Amino acid sequence: MASKPSPSPSASRSGSLQDTPMAKPDESAPESEEIASVIESLKRHVVDERCVSIKERMEKNRHKLASVTSHLQKLSMERRNSWINLADSSHDLLKKRQDDAIGMHSGIGTSSGDKDSDSHQEDSHASTAVLLGTSIPPGKNSVRPIRLPEVRKLPPYTTWIFLDRNQRMTEDQSVVGRRRIYYAQNGGEALICSDSEEENVDEEEEKKYFLESEDYIIRMTIKEAGFSDAVINSLAECFSKNTDEIKARYESLTKDEKTSVDSLHVDSEASSLNSFLDKDLEAALDSFDNLFCRRCLVFDCRLHGCSQDLVFPAEKRPPLNHPDVENLPCGEHCYRSVSKSEKMPTEDSPELGDTKDNSVQPSSGSAGTRTTARKKHTPCARKKARPSQSESASSNIKNMSDSSDSEIGPQHTTSTSHLSPSKTKLCGKGGVSQRNSKRVAERVLSCIKKRQKLIGSESDSVASGGLLGGDAKLSSSPHRENEDANSSSQKNSKSRSRKTELSVQNVQGVARDGISSAMVADPPGSSSDVTLRKDDYADGNSRKMELNDNLSWKAFEKSLFEKGVEIFGKNSCLIARNLLNGLKTCVEVFQFMRQADKRLAYQAGDAANCLGDGYSKFDQGNNEVRRRSRFLRRRGRVRRLKYSWKSTAYHSIRKRISERKDQPCRQYNPCNCQTACGKECPCHLNGTCCEKYCGCPKTCKNRFRGCHCAKSQCRSRQCPCFAADRECDPDVCRNCWVSCGDGSLGVPNQRGDNYECRNMKLLLKQQQRVLLGKSDVSGWGAFLKKSVGKHEYLGEYTGELISHREADKRGKIYDRENSSFLFNLNDQFVLDAYRKGDKLKFANHSPDPNCYAKVIMVAGDHRVGIFAKERINSGEELFYDYRYEPDRAPAWARKPEASGSKKEEASHPGGRAKKLA
Amino acid sequence: MARIPLGCEPVIGSLVPSKKRDYRVTNRLQEGKRPLYAVVFNFIDSRYFNVFATVGGNRVTVYQCLEGGVIAVLQSYVDEDKDESFYTVTWACNRDGSPFVVAGGINGIIRVIDAGHEKIDKSFVGHGDSVNEIRTQPLKPSLVVSASKDESVRLWNVHTGVCILIFAGAGGHRNEVLSVDFHPSDMYRIASCGMDNTVKIWSMKEFWPSVEKSFTWTDLPSKFPTKYVQFPVFIASVHSNYVDCNRWLGDFVLSKSVDNEIVLWEPRTKDQSPGEGTVDILQKYPVPECDIWFIKFSCDFHYNAAAIGNREGKIFVWELQTSPPSLIARLSHAQSKSPIRQTAMSFDGSTILSCCEDGTIWRWDAVSSSSSSSSSQV
Repeated sequence: MASKPSPSPSASRSGSLQDTPMAKPDESAPESEEIASVIESLKRHVVDERCVSIKERMEKNRHKLASVTSHLQKLSMERRNSWINLADSSHDLLKKRQDDAIGMHSGIGTSSGDKDSDSHQEDSHASTAVLLGTSIPPGKNSVRPIRLPEVRKLPPYTTWIFLDRNQRMTEDQSVVGRRRIYYAQNGGEALICSDSEEENVDEEEEKKYFLESEDYIIRMTIKEAGFSDAVINSLAECFSKNTDEIKARYESLTKDEKTSVDSLHVDSEASSLNSFLDKDLEAALDSFDNLFCRRCLVFDCRLHGCSQDLVFPAEKRPPLNHPDVENLPCGEHCYRSVSKSEKMPTEDSPELGDTKDNSVQPSSGSAGTRTTARKKHTPCARKKARPSQSESASSNIKNMSDSSDSEIGPQHTTSTSHLSPSKTKLCGKGGVSQRNSKRVAERVLSCIKKRQKLIGSESDSVASGGLLGGDAKLSSSPHRENEDANSSSQKNSKSRSRKTELSVQNVQGVARDGISSAMVADPPGSSSDVTLRKDDYADGNSRKMELNDNLSWKAFEKSLFEKGVEIFGKNSCLIARNLLNGLKTCVEVFQFMRQADKRLAYQAGDAANCLGDGYSKFDQGNNEVRRRSRFLRRRGRVRRLKYSWKSTAYHSIRKRISERKDQPCRQYNPCNCQTACGKECPCHLNGTCCEKYCGCPKTCKNRFRGCHCAKSQCRSRQCPCFAADRECDPDVCRNCWVSCGDGSLGVPNQRGDNYECRNMKLLLKQQQRVLLGKSDVSGWGAFLKKSVGKHEYLGEYTGELISHREADKRGKIYDRENSSFLFNLNDQFVLDAYRKGDKLKFANHSPDPNCYAKVIMVAGDHRVGIFAKERINSGEELFYDYRYEPDRAPAWARKPEASGSKKEEASHPGGRAKKLA
Repeated sequence: MARIPLGCEPVIGSLVPSKKRDYRVTNRLQEGKRPLYAVVFNFIDSRYFNVFATVGGNRVTVYQCLEGGVIAVLQSYVDEDKDESFYTVTWACNRDGSPFVVAGGINGIIRVIDAGHEKIDKSFVGHGDSVNEIRTQPLKPSLVVSASKDESVRLWNVHTGVCILIFAGAGGHRNEVLSVDFHPSDMYRIASCGMDNTVKIWSMKEFWPSVEKSFTWTDLPSKFPTKYVQFPVFIASVHSNYVDCNRWLGDFVLSKSVDNEIVLWEPRTKDQSPGEGTVDILQKYPVPECDIWFIKFSCDFHYNAAAIGNREGKIFVWELQTSPPSLIARLSHAQSKSPIRQTAMSFDGSTILSCCEDGTIWRWDAVSSSSSSSSSQV
């Protein structure tokens, strides 16, 4: 033993794990007893250290506490002093009695004290201290007790948690499966309330991690005894872990040692910053999907729970439509405002168009000349002229584009990219023409691509895309000339042309630098950005900037952007503001969007046909078309939605209503059908209607179609919603709507004839004020603050949602306490308001009630509304019929003739008293 | 309990008495037929360090300890409600320094008695069920905290009579709260424990403005905006059964369950995630035959020693702050057979009082080698 330790410590310290095991097996393994003794001694060492550390901590705590208590003592002394200073005039009877007692006691000490004590009773308070434990018996001279007047005590209650809405039971509240001991009200003895069926408490997971102390022992033992199976085995035995774990731990320990040394040299600062930005949006959305309740629109919903099944509607919503805020810049970084301000130097006002155009055209021409071969320039100029002419000449855009299409294609292959731009101008003219022009542009683009390949420039595809963009703008300028000549009324085209102008200028500048590659690089930026960066380019920084532009978009931001396009369409203002706030400015988004467009175009490049679809998905220009189509669709839908009393859905529902009597309602779970629900739809199988939360299309036959009521205000069984025990839903019913606020903000488009639906009170939380007070009948009671009329909604009965199994167990407990807050909600859940609920839980049972409870379907959930059965005056106590199952009602809840004494009833066995509705 | 990992073992005290100090019975008195549940010395005002109060049945009694084992009855209060059974009592005072006795019991009504004027000062109605313990904030003795069967802990101001805070709700106790205690130096902290087997540490830091407001409240107490503290800062599962007494020992916590020992442990809260944390069990003080619930221990003013009775009428006096813990003395008497519900140690620990189920109060005095003259009367 003694000889061995010297090599092994060095080995383990150096961290070269391989040496140790290699070296050891050769030598004879140490005796197991020796190992055991080593381990034992180390263990003792650990324990000793622990004792020492506890001792130290205790000592530290003692010092601290000593100062605390001496401070407290000082305070108690001060109290005495202040008392003496302040109020020695007012008599303190406690002090007086104390002094009396001392006096008496000393009196006894000196002489016989009985008479003494009499002499002390000079004041009106007849009694004074009585000495006990002396030789004198207390006798007649006892202290007269002072009476504490009785105070009425409260009816017993357990602290409960106010619930605004129902909540599902949290795991740790479950009685099922846990052995819990409850106390009976009177008996004072423990009762085991859980059945024994599932008492096999799972063994607590053996802790797999190693504590510091265990690490220490492992390390030191191996250091001393060497690394051998015997050592490992005895270690494993010692920690009751298996040998592999010990081995693995030892390896990681030695590794740790090594790395900890290494890590000192490593700069650790690199980590941390904005690590979340590198994550994928999907990953981020994952928690959103799991934690956000789409039915309640809150995070961490306690009603539907997290990790609900995600239901995606079969009908995709079209991107939001943003009506014409179009020309208002969204902020200081808006691409519009930037482009405008940049533009100022070159263009003073739109009216000056002509002169500008003139100036631009030459410049573009010159740019062309300078950049590449002169020979290329000439054809391009020629080409440009032609399409533009045709456009101005003929008002028929379609024709024009067609012609340009055919013409341009071939030309491009041979000539420069500058031609492609004819497309940009067209966009001003409305959807149809646009698509065509786009196609043209596409073709052009592909041509250019090919050409570029031919040219063999070093630029990669992205760069070339960029080039195209720039080119496009460049070439558009001549176009604009024509347009202006035609009619410059269209704002869009104008602004575009302005931009192109700028880009032209910019390109020009770049070209002047004579760096053709730089020119390739710069166009990816939008026109405005390009101008911004002009100076930089002049400095020759172009490469770097380009790099920034692409790389600065993290994966997360990119996916956010994609979502943004899905939601808002191609509106950089909205995307930047709503999704990339603080990350990207509108300008940057705009740039990126254009780039993305181009890339997309490229991908589709070879086959011009596919372009129509692919492009339209992204393109803002198509908005107009889309808007129209959506409008059409809506009209169609409304018609289909028109309520028909003969519709199949209604029949089945009607049937269900009539059959339903006395059957519990069914819990609704949204189905995920992507087509109209058939026989196998889970909703259908479960016997519930499809709701708005289902994935199925709105035409689904199983959907509840809402009502169509107007004058009746949904207050009678004429209203299909009302008849089906449902509240109306503004999303579904045709004429049920909700106004916001007091109307000062304007009212929504009124549907129907301005009749307000009266069947949405739970949804809108339009409840009556309920007061809590001592009941005239039993315990607490609920009272109404204001008078209400018949059938008025009073409030909701909220509570914990528990399973029927749980309810059975809890019911047994509650029966013992002679109180019941259970309420059958539907086939899956029971409401328990014992711990959590609202004040209506205190309303008592009466066989002749003034309220009734009704389970109502509100937005897919069953909720319990309490309604007035008759007119109720303010201050009246509320009662409703719990509808106890026969013979389960507690005595006070029975009709007078049936009631026994309460005590007797409290002991009734088995069964739970449950409220039924 | 689960296996305690190596290196985290608590130090367990030995039951062999160190004989540092010995106690003798110097007095015994029978207060009545009903069980006595609490006895407590006045540590609030140094004038009354030798005054103590007991409760049992519907009666609150104030005594004084005199030389030579003599006990003087000073005051006695009787609740007119015969069904009242007081479980707990504490000393407090209003801002003028007038001594108050605060008692609570099965009715859930907390009685604030002005002992200086021998009259009822206030009655706190609010708890929905019986009150199991009341404690006084040593730094601000107008504040008392009560633990109740209604699963809540409430903070009251005896000066103005308002209920300031209710510690209950979503994160609160899930069964009767049996014991509660103020941290000796950190005014914001309290620890409570109960039948849900947990010890919960609460902080009222956020609600401190409310507490300050309570001192100047002049309106009706019922109009005070009582706030709910729903989440504790720490939940410790140290025991696997009812926890019926806990006290702070500096920043450590002493708690006792029905498994025959007092446990000293350190709560280690995590600042980032309130409610979570780990418990480091430091020491254990065995108390044999102490397996029924509602047996409470008491400490002297400086927390040097703790005394606890057991089911068989014996008392164990532990030295608290040494490591390993040492048993100062084991007190037993042939006639003391009834369960001791609560003990009280005097300011310096030289006198120990115990109150028993059979309605008796026992006085034990430390026997110093010099004054061997003191003799027990019983």
